[in-house]
Amino acid sequence: MNPKPPAPRQNAGSPPRWADRLLAWFCAPHLLEEVQGDLYERFTRRVALVGERSARRQYIWEVLGFIRPFALKRQRTVHQSDEYTSPISLHPAMIRNYLKIAWRNIAHNKTFSAINILGLALGMVCSLLIFLWIQDEFSVDAYHANGTRLYNVMERQLYDGKVVAAPSTPGLLSDELKKKFPEIEYAAGFSWEDQRTFTVGEKFNREKGRFAGADWFSMFTVPLLEGRPETALNAPANLAISRKLAENYFGSPQAAIGKSIRLDNQTDYQVTAVFENLPDNSSEKYDYLLSWQDFIRRNEWLKDWGSNAPRTFIQLHQARNGDLPDADRLEAKLKHFLKEVNPRMKESPFKIELFLQPFPEGYLYSNFKDGYQDGGRIEYVRLFGIVAVFILLIACINFMNLATARSVRRAREVGVRKVIGAVRSLLIGQFVGEALLLTFLALVLALGIVWLLLPVFNTLTEKHITFRYASPSFWATLLGMALLTGLIAGSYPALFLSSLNPIRVLKGSLRFGSGARLFRQGLVVFQFVLSMLLIIGTIVVYRQINFIQTKNLGYDRENLIYLSAEGNLVDKYSTFKQELLKSPGIQSMTYMDGTPTNTFGSTGNVQWPGKGPDVSIEFQFSTVDYDFTKTLKLNLKGRDFSKAYGLDSVSYLINETAARRIGYVDPIGKPLTLWGKQGTIIGLIEDYHMTSLHIPIEPLIIKLSPDPERKNIIIRTQPGQSREALASVETLWRQLNPKFPFSYKFADQEFQKLYRSEIVVGTLANYFAFLAIFISCLGLFGLAAFTAEQRTKEIGVRKVLGASVPSIVTLLSADFLKLVLIAILIASPLAWYAMNRWLADFAYKIDIEWWIFAGAGMLATVIALLTISFQSIKAALMDPVRSLRTE
Amino acid sequence: MKRTYLGEFEEIVLLLVAGMDGEAYGVGITHKLNEETDRSVRLNQVHAALHRLQEKGMVASRLGDPTPERGGRRKLLFTVTAYGYRTLHDIKEMRAQLWDNVPAAPKLAFNL
Repeated sequence: MNPKPPAPRQNAGSPPRWADRLLAWFCAPHLLEEVQGDLYERFTRRVALVGERSARRQYIWEVLGFIRPFALKRQRTVHQSDEYTSPISLHPAMIRNYLKIAWRNIAHNKTFSAINILGLALGMVCSLLIFLWIQDEFSVDAYHANGTRLYNVMERQLYDGKVVAAPSTPGLLSDELKKKFPEIEYAAGFSWEDQRTFTVGEKFNREKGRFAGADWFSMFTVPLLEGRPETALNAPANLAISRKLAENYFGSPQAAIGKSIRLDNQTDYQVTAVFENLPDNSSEKYDYLLSWQDFIRRNEWLKDWGSNAPRTFIQLHQARNGDLPDADRLEAKLKHFLKEVNPRMKESPFKIELFLQPFPEGYLYSNFKDGYQDGGRIEYVRLFGIVAVFILLIACINFMNLATARSVRRAREVGVRKVIGAVRSLLIGQFVGEALLLTFLALVLALGIVWLLLPVFNTLTEKHITFRYASPSFWATLLGMALLTGLIAGSYPALFLSSLNPIRVLKGSLRFGSGARLFRQGLVVFQFVLSMLLIIGTIVVYRQINFIQTKNLGYDRENLIYLSAEGNLVDKYSTFKQELLKSPGIQSMTYMDGTPTNTFGSTGNVQWPGKGPDVSIEFQFSTVDYDFTKTLKLNLKGRDFSKAYGLDSVSYLINETAARRIGYVDPIGKPLTLWGKQGTIIGLIEDYHMTSLHIPIEPLIIKLSPDPERKNIIIRTQPGQSREALASVETLWRQLNPKFPFSYKFADQEFQKLYRSEIVVGTLANYFAFLAIFISCLGLFGLAAFTAEQRTKEIGVRKVLGASVPSIVTLLSADFLKLVLIAILIASPLAWYAMNRWLADFAYKIDIEWWIFAGAGMLATVIALLTISFQSIKAALMDPVRSLRTE
Repeated sequence: MKRTYLGEFEEIVLLLVAGMDGEAYGVGITHKLNEETDRSVRLNQVHAALHRLQEKGMVASRLGDPTPERGGRRKLLFTVTAYGYRTLHDIKEMRAQLWDNVPAAPKLAFNL
């Protein structure tokens, strides 16, 4: 050992201590004294020459100079050692020994190993599934080669003093933008989803597709199997179909090109391109595309700059230096474009602006608040990401807890190893290594479970996730996850065990301080806080979904069927209606553009006497047939449209919200002007929910339409007779409309689709909460077993002295229950805050009541109690003679 | 025959150690080097060279006494080993031999 250095002279000043420590840390020990001495000598000399400050600076500089291979910690190569070197190194024999000990530990304590591996594996299953889901969410729309240059043109409007953003734009916008702005390379409109009946020879079927601009295939990466991107959609009779349709109707893509297809049994179109089926991870799905020219021709009203319906996408030119295009500058120029092309807009109270949203963001960030992007699906991605981390953390905590609890058993091994000369870093390595071994066993198990669960998970989430065996990133993530889990799980036990004092351990006087116990208890509390959060979250989500599904919407969605009016049903609608009403099982019938859950459109062009110039209210509107209120079972004051009155083409029905917004106390008989047509309000509909409960009820105007074309026929069947009703509808359809496939939808199923993501989230949350509490209880089970074992002798003595079994069970359980109760107290306010934020998304929602917390707390307590009592009762029933005999 | 490789800097350090007759240590050599060769070297370079030389067996080291200006730490004093001396002589001889081949008055070429 080196002699202790005499204290340095006080007046000389001293070099920075941190630099010295740094040097001591990185410098090889056998060089340290020499190097330090030399540095110090120079320092002393420099203080005299250039002053202390400068000397200190140079000292630091010189210390840093020693960070180089020869001085860095390394084994002494010269054989002149005067110290005894540690015999334990990373020798193969030693590694074999570590593995052997690790394996014996796993094999010897089957319960603990099983709890550990199972807990870790379940945690990993959860995080793996979530990871796959998140990966899939991020891959949506990410495959377009020009993705960074694609933008969605959106509109911001001022309605009712609120800024609202929407993707609907005027139909002529895409072409005009491309003409006016040289920055734009391509622009394409994109219509709403349509269903059309395709007829080729004797084959006919209904297909889903859209209209799209001529640039579509130049912008988006949708590979063409046949045809060229420039000509695919450049004429009104052009039709691009997917590989699936080409194979269905013609046998192959090659055979399909140039052939003609009759649409809706009216018009013939030429197949000008066949595109590859769209991948699962595209947000927009379509099996055919028709040209934009055709779209405008079919819908004259699209030429009006005041009407918004389709979407507009643009692709910007690459900047000259290869940078991304400057979308902000273009956005600034675009902003008031609509006012330039449409002078009428200048005085409009709606204050319309255009803005750009990067196309790849559209899927995950689809919500807008006050006209600006505000979350969307990304919130669920984040939420589940957090849940994944939480659950993995719970599993890691189990591991840490059990390992530290069991450390008494390993303490002797640590003592012996230390006495033979193991240094601390090697012991840490050994225990972390053991944790990693367990983690990898768990990972293998987890992979197996995930592989089995994946089909179920896909059904649940409506995705097509597969293992990407070939992708290195998949394996890298797996490996990373396992390493991280192993390191976190193994860190505390390793640090704790390696710090034990060998002398005390081997003398048998080892007492664990209260620090270790407190830490363990803290971990249990933390685990249960996380579990409680998940349980409360699940209850709230479940209740909200239940609320949505049972809430009285103002109309009766049971026993409603939708058909679409097409082909002969348009001309022979009145015959159809007459015949159908005579058929069994049918109560009433109407048609409507849109559906009860989705009104067709909205308009601000509504006037009434006394309307102020600045008032801008957006009214939802729908056009309907007679018997509308009767079929939907709406509550109505006044009267419905009726053939008994000749003037119903200028009569309107409005809902209560509309009456309130207009300011009519008794609206029936009052005047109303819609799109310049003055008419009268003949009926007041009690408010009903026109869309999902995310949105408050909006003002609504309903107008009679004489023409059923492309509208939804809504049929109310007799309760309990839907089969008969459907049979009569189908028979009649086949008679009147043989060239079109018969298909229908149930209103309540359509309604469920509005809450698809909530329902998925609810179900997933259910499973995750269950898993979390299960994993937590696994840990608790292990800890309880450990405590019971530790206190075997104490229990024996108590029993001998006359303690009853219940009193012992209480004694053992109370400690743990205290922790669970603390966890409940901590978790409740956190959960309350989180769930309030989630519910804020709904315009109509449940209240978070106190009993939810009480119930979740009770549940957690009962589960924990059951877990612990198993061990406690086992311990309490033990024969004291046996446990005390050895003493 | 196994050849000894000695870098130019190592050679100078070894020469200095030889010249300082048992009193050579890190700082001392650094100062001497700075004075005599007029090139500025840093302490860690000298240390690195010394330890390389020791690994090659050309110098031996022993610990000196602690001194107050070193904060009580001991010096590591270096001496040249017999093998070190021989290497230095070999180098000198080889250089001399090579010099013998150089003509007395070198022809200077001017290509203007």
